[in-house]
Amino acid sequence: VNIHTAARSTGDAGGPGLTGPAPGRPATAALSLAAAEASLLLRSVLLLAGLVAGGLVIWRAVSPTELLWWDASWQIGYGQVILAVTVLAAAQLAAGRPRRDGMRELYDSFPVSAATRTAAQMAGLAGVLPASVLLAGTAAVVIQARGAIGTPAPGVLAAGVLLVIAAGAAGIALGTRFPHPLAGILGALALFALSTESRLFDTYGVAGGGLPWLFPWTVPDPGQLGYLPGPLTGYPPGGVHAVELAGIAALAAAAALAVTAGRPRHRMLLAATGIVAAAAICVSGAAQLQPVPAAGLNRLVSAAVDPVRAEHCTTVGQVRYCLYPAFGSLLPAFQAPVRGVLAEIPARPADGLTIAQDLSLTLDDPSLAHGHTGQQLARWKAELQTAPASTGTAPAIYTPVGSWPAPRFALALRVAEWAVKFPAGGSPGTGCVPADQAREAIAIWLAITATRTSPAQLAAGQNLIGQRGAGTPSIAVVQGRPVTLWTYPAQYVPTAGDAATASAGGGAGVFPAGPQTTATGFLLAESMTSLPASRVERVLDAGWPVWLNWHTTDARLAAALGIPMPSVSTGVSPPPATAPGPGSGPPQAPLCTT
Amino acid sequence: VVVASQPPNILNPEGAPPAQGQPVRPARRSRLSWLRALPLLARPVTVTMPWVTLLTGCLAGIVYLAVMARLVGASRSPLGPGVIRLAFLPAVAALAFVPRAPFRPLTQTVPVPAWVAPTGHLLLAVPVLAVTCWAQLRIIAHTIPPHVLGHPPAVYPLIAQLTGWCAVTVAAAACTGRSRYADLGGAIAAPVSFAAIALACYAPITSRFLAEPPATPHGVTIAWYAVASAAAALSCVAMRDRWHRYARSLHRRSPPGPAPRGTNERTSASDFGRQG
Repeated sequence: VNIHTAARSTGDAGGPGLTGPAPGRPATAALSLAAAEASLLLRSVLLLAGLVAGGLVIWRAVSPTELLWWDASWQIGYGQVILAVTVLAAAQLAAGRPRRDGMRELYDSFPVSAATRTAAQMAGLAGVLPASVLLAGTAAVVIQARGAIGTPAPGVLAAGVLLVIAAGAAGIALGTRFPHPLAGILGALALFALSTESRLFDTYGVAGGGLPWLFPWTVPDPGQLGYLPGPLTGYPPGGVHAVELAGIAALAAAAALAVTAGRPRHRMLLAATGIVAAAAICVSGAAQLQPVPAAGLNRLVSAAVDPVRAEHCTTVGQVRYCLYPAFGSLLPAFQAPVRGVLAEIPARPADGLTIAQDLSLTLDDPSLAHGHTGQQLARWKAELQTAPASTGTAPAIYTPVGSWPAPRFALALRVAEWAVKFPAGGSPGTGCVPADQAREAIAIWLAITATRTSPAQLAAGQNLIGQRGAGTPSIAVVQGRPVTLWTYPAQYVPTAGDAATASAGGGAGVFPAGPQTTATGFLLAESMTSLPASRVERVLDAGWPVWLNWHTTDARLAAALGIPMPSVSTGVSPPPATAPGPGSGPPQAPLCTT
Repeated sequence: VVVASQPPNILNPEGAPPAQGQPVRPARRSRLSWLRALPLLARPVTVTMPWVTLLTGCLAGIVYLAVMARLVGASRSPLGPGVIRLAFLPAVAALAFVPRAPFRPLTQTVPVPAWVAPTGHLLLAVPVLAVTCWAQLRIIAHTIPPHVLGHPPAVYPLIAQLTGWCAVTVAAAACTGRSRYADLGGAIAAPVSFAAIALACYAPITSRFLAEPPATPHGVTIAWYAVASAAAALSCVAMRDRWHRYARSLHRRSPPGPAPRGTNERTSASDFGRQG
């Protein structure tokens, strides 16, 4: 069909056409064929489906995360992987057409040789360029419009396009040898598996840390790209990877043409091309196996250990905001919830407030730390033990990189907790519990009011208290009494350390340092939101020092506001007087008493 | 092409051809008379079964899984269920090429129903797929450390899911076989099946019932077996359907009664010319 299309197109244009003798102008015929193949490929249902699926994959990857260009550029590549998979299958179908349909003799009867047809199919891969560029370009525009931090990485985006071309070339090489459509499908599945399961090589630490970069496409797992304060040279090696993909494309093209090349001179040329392509693949592979430069890792560890020193600090309204250099555009977004809470409180604490970003870095990621000596790694890990995220000490309220903009409510709540004088700090996940303390409900109400969060949006956390949903309630034992905790949405902030821990099969996650909120406190705050704000403010203004006292109970606040006191059943019987052993019941937690 | 040797008792079970000058009546035979030809069909069905395609797909998944198990074996960490699902996809893709009935307009003129050969191929494929699934589960089981705490995840939801995938693939292949793209067969059915599987697993509406979590193992099992039943019913309907119901233009339906001779040929010729 393509032959006839090409013949018609050349014939209509006044050219010789493929049905007429054209042995002396193979280049013209090849170009005509290439245009027809490109047009068919671009209109292929498979390719169009891949374009849509690729867009969905990109959207799914980037929509729930903080958009950082040094991470988003690689996520766009995963959309290109989907497109590449479909292009490989479509190209294999096209290349295997003569033999699959049993019309090889018919095709051979045309004045255009098989080599010219294969070359035209290879040139026809230009037809997928608009689709690939459109996918990458649209994704880049959408990501930039959503306020991504940093600048796009052109090398990584170009590598994505090269991946699609290489997949098409591989599909043609496959189709010239194996015309059965299953070959193309298996090739597409292999490409998909190589691009998705290469993470296992990092997760299980197989064969060294740099190996995943050699795969067609990969994002390290545990992925720390989305938690870095800026691009890190060599992690991943984008430009060199583009060279590898170009080499694969050239090698596949040479392999496809070698099947049909007739003249010895052409075979020699193809052999030389293949050798050069293989050399480029080897050299780029060796370059990708090089460790991440120690200087870059030194800077990264320093930025994690002492974030404020690495950040740009700005004082606005007696609040100090410290953000990593690339994140300066987020300052207004940080100010909004903080300003909202401060506007609601009758009196500010005397001590100053610092809002800062911190960095949760793990060097257990083989793709990040491979190639460095154990001594060097031990030194870095020892330094990281003093990072705020590890110690839980809180001279400031820290927001991890990669978690914004999800935890607006979390930031507002932390500021509100500072305003009602909760003790800051504590080891992650083991903060004190403000059981039956009115100031907890006040802090939650302040955060809800400041961020205009609907209590219904907090239902995901409410499910965990077992009141209205099927979730399992989280229980802590405080001074011998079981207390039902409340986990609000986005309280769990996944960090790179969590990803490493989870992938290793242990650990439930790290909660931000600070008090553990209770179900009673949330339900009381939810009831407070049903009252007019002015009425609540009047009650709070009248006895602010009293409300800040940790002895003031929830019941007293409810009575002052004239609302019923919510009741929460833990469903857990009080533990015996003797302290239970580890793992024998709900965890013990201290009471917030300052 | 399954064209069985045609014994006289099947071709013309009611006796000799009509005499000269008498009107030609279609031979009346029992609806189930073709059952007598089944033993004769066993061999051609077995011979025309696309064994190479099916075994290639099954072995590709097993080899992939074995390689992955070997690679992660050193870390003594079990492979996740996602890997076995991915490893079963080549077998699913190969299955898409099994129920193909080439030269359908010819085979449906013989006394044996045209769906017998594809059904026979599918029945032959079932044990191969079962063995593939068993082998893959064994490979996965070998990657689980012996003294691991807790119970390994249940297998029955996974088996239900893989059964559902196979049934969806067969339905897609059967429907493709009745369309103008019958010549491409599995090349269309496999991507369509993959798209359906991806939608089932990742679309928010369907994943609530068909993916675990959020669905429970029992829920996933019931849901996938329900999907498999529906797909099997669709496959039966599609296999029994006639080619000319899928003429390219629905607006140019022939009038009621027997389709004019040549309709199929015209449709086929034009369709084959557009398949590229």
